[in-house]
Amino acid sequence: MTARTPITLITGPLGSGKTTLLRHILATHQAKMAIVMNEFGEIAIDAKIIEGKNVRIAELGGGCVCCSLLGEFEAAVNEIIETVAPETIIVETTGLAEPEALVFNIQDALPQCRLDGVISVIDADMLVRFPELGHTTRLQIEGADILLLNKIDLIKPEQTESLEAKLRDVNPGAPTVRTERCRVDPELLFGLGHVTKAARLPHKHQPEFESFTFVSEKRFLRDCFERFAESLSANVYRAKGFVRFKDGTQLFNFVTGRWDLEPFESAETQLVFIGKEITRLRSVIVDSLRKCEL
Amino acid sequence: MVAIDHIQKVSDTIWELPAIYKQGMRVPARIIATEKLVREMDEAVYQQISNVATLPGITRYALCMPDGHSGYGFPIGGVAAMDIHEGGVISPGGIGFDINCGMRLVITNLTLDDVQPRLKEIVDLLFQRVPAGVGSHGFLKLSRQEFREVVEGGARWCVERDYGWKEDLELTEENGCISGADAEKISDRAIDRGHNQIGTLGSGNHYLEVQVARSEDVRDKELAAKFGITIPNQVVVMFHCGSRGFGHQVATDYLQIFLKVMENKYGIKILDRELACAPFESPEGRAYFAAMKCGLNMSFANRQVILHRIREVFAEVFGRSAEDLGMRMIYDVAHNTAKLEKHTVDGKERTLLVHRKGATRAFGPGHNEVAAPYRDIGQPVIIGGSMETGSYLMVGVPGGTGTFFSTAHGSGRTMSRTKARKLWHGKHLQHNLEARGIYIRSTSWAGLAEEAGAAYKNIDEVIAATELAGISKPVVRFTPIGNVKG
Repeated sequence: MTARTPITLITGPLGSGKTTLLRHILATHQAKMAIVMNEFGEIAIDAKIIEGKNVRIAELGGGCVCCSLLGEFEAAVNEIIETVAPETIIVETTGLAEPEALVFNIQDALPQCRLDGVISVIDADMLVRFPELGHTTRLQIEGADILLLNKIDLIKPEQTESLEAKLRDVNPGAPTVRTERCRVDPELLFGLGHVTKAARLPHKHQPEFESFTFVSEKRFLRDCFERFAESLSANVYRAKGFVRFKDGTQLFNFVTGRWDLEPFESAETQLVFIGKEITRLRSVIVDSLRKCEL
Repeated sequence: MVAIDHIQKVSDTIWELPAIYKQGMRVPARIIATEKLVREMDEAVYQQISNVATLPGITRYALCMPDGHSGYGFPIGGVAAMDIHEGGVISPGGIGFDINCGMRLVITNLTLDDVQPRLKEIVDLLFQRVPAGVGSHGFLKLSRQEFREVVEGGARWCVERDYGWKEDLELTEENGCISGADAEKISDRAIDRGHNQIGTLGSGNHYLEVQVARSEDVRDKELAAKFGITIPNQVVVMFHCGSRGFGHQVATDYLQIFLKVMENKYGIKILDRELACAPFESPEGRAYFAAMKCGLNMSFANRQVILHRIREVFAEVFGRSAEDLGMRMIYDVAHNTAKLEKHTVDGKERTLLVHRKGATRAFGPGHNEVAAPYRDIGQPVIIGGSMETGSYLMVGVPGGTGTFFSTAHGSGRTMSRTKARKLWHGKHLQHNLEARGIYIRSTSWAGLAEEAGAAYKNIDEVIAATELAGISKPVVRFTPIGNVKG
């Protein structure tokens, strides 16, 4: 049983740092990734290029590839999955794109994929210099699951909070991470690629985020678990892992209130929660989960 | 500050945000619409059009047409004329990324009775021959060098290679090829994205429609006859498309350049960075103007090749030549452009760069830039409605000076694409339309839902507003019967 391939969208206005984020992800995230981007040359300068039917693919080493579209988005994604079989696909949209249309296409026209999350990179300096939020920028903030308030080194520290409030006004649900040159813990962006490594979630860059793991050998009641997922605290930004139900194990994916389950093979229940100040919520979350055990 | 409380009524069709409404406004912002249409616009439109009023060189007013809705930087429906001798700027957000997105209209001598029995066959074949969808490829396989020739040569390049008739050129704005397009000013990526897209519709609100001119919908018989619309229930074909990924890339490239130089080099301060711009008379501004013209030509060429394919399809289905079927082109208009034009302002003739984003140029009778066959009646204006309602052929009028001879371009959205997708399902919509005699083919069900009629303003209200405002005059209303949706 193969799980659907997760797709992460990176959006944000022109020059906000989307390509920088991609470079950072490539350097720090251990996974076989396929990156889909508009300006292909920026990352894969001397790479070997394979001309496909709907995509042009460059090998980046470590099993990762960089792709630029030649054909339709859906056809390109299918071709990438068939030829490269990546663990995850990351799509960098152009600064002019409104992410909602692409989100809908992924959910509507790519049944073999799962939308893993929408990351918006917002340039803090620009937010200070241009008082009015542009129409497309607003849609890029509204559509985000996580917001990177980037280039905070270019603004005065006392300005950061008012910018965060501005972002919260437009999108109250998404957590904001302050970054310089997009340096963000990749596990915040992708959940945990390998749940077993969860315990060692590094806290270097984002001290405000906390995580904990839940393990159980029992099986779970599906209805009860779904109610649990539905009512999970807004402080939990991401949750990921496996849940054993009566009729088999499911892969659980949760991003800022949006969640789904899909069949997956795993012998035990193992879940990781990431969020702001969630250590104090740990006992409440664990208690609710225990109530769903058979 | 809520804008609607500050809007002043100048007349039944002119609504003004005075220059004191917002700091930095150089001229007032005017919305040309009926009160109902003004009230239906979202707040973002008022903010965007008053931001446009702060741009250097803007002359008289920042204008919004009756079909206006919010877009990147400028509202869609925005018109702004910049005096290039007064530091006037050029702004990609005022042109739109789908450079020279436009409409083309071709008539036939067939009637609804001739076409109805073969409609599915026609639409299915059109769907096959005119590729639609996000990254669709055209049948024309061009090398990158040939593509460079196309973006400099426009529709003329196509007609020289027998993709069309000679007379098509004089019936296209700029004769199908705007001078001053320079392929040296476009990036390799733009060529990569564009070279296999000639002859494709694209996605979103792009479409190709088979329509009928019902006798009761002919609003001006005499003018209609001049366009060759004389038979009751005469069938026409209208289509809407642009410069595809190519135009998008050109806009992206230059927005990035403008963001770098706008403030640092030229000291231009703006409120919303989506209005990134450069002085027209600057190396960057001139380079974008020459690159944007490549987008214009690419689009003219695209619509020329599509017209060729449409003629082939009709000829094949009816077993008669396109000439025999009277498949004469009426006109081709651009609605995402910036053009240098001479306008008289306060008694003086001035050279203005007129940005029209989701707005159609509509010169009145006698203007020397109106195509020769129409010079005595005014420039044809082709307005596409939603796929469920109807479309119009109009003409420009002498009194269009208040909008720099510009009018509406379509019905204008009333809701976001996402909202439309949530409200309707494409497949159900298709069944509904079929029950009402409209046969539709689409590459995407979700995309079809985005274009539901109720997601748009009422086209008849928009047209009536332009007539009432004295900026264009309706000639014929067309009803759709078949549609290929991108």
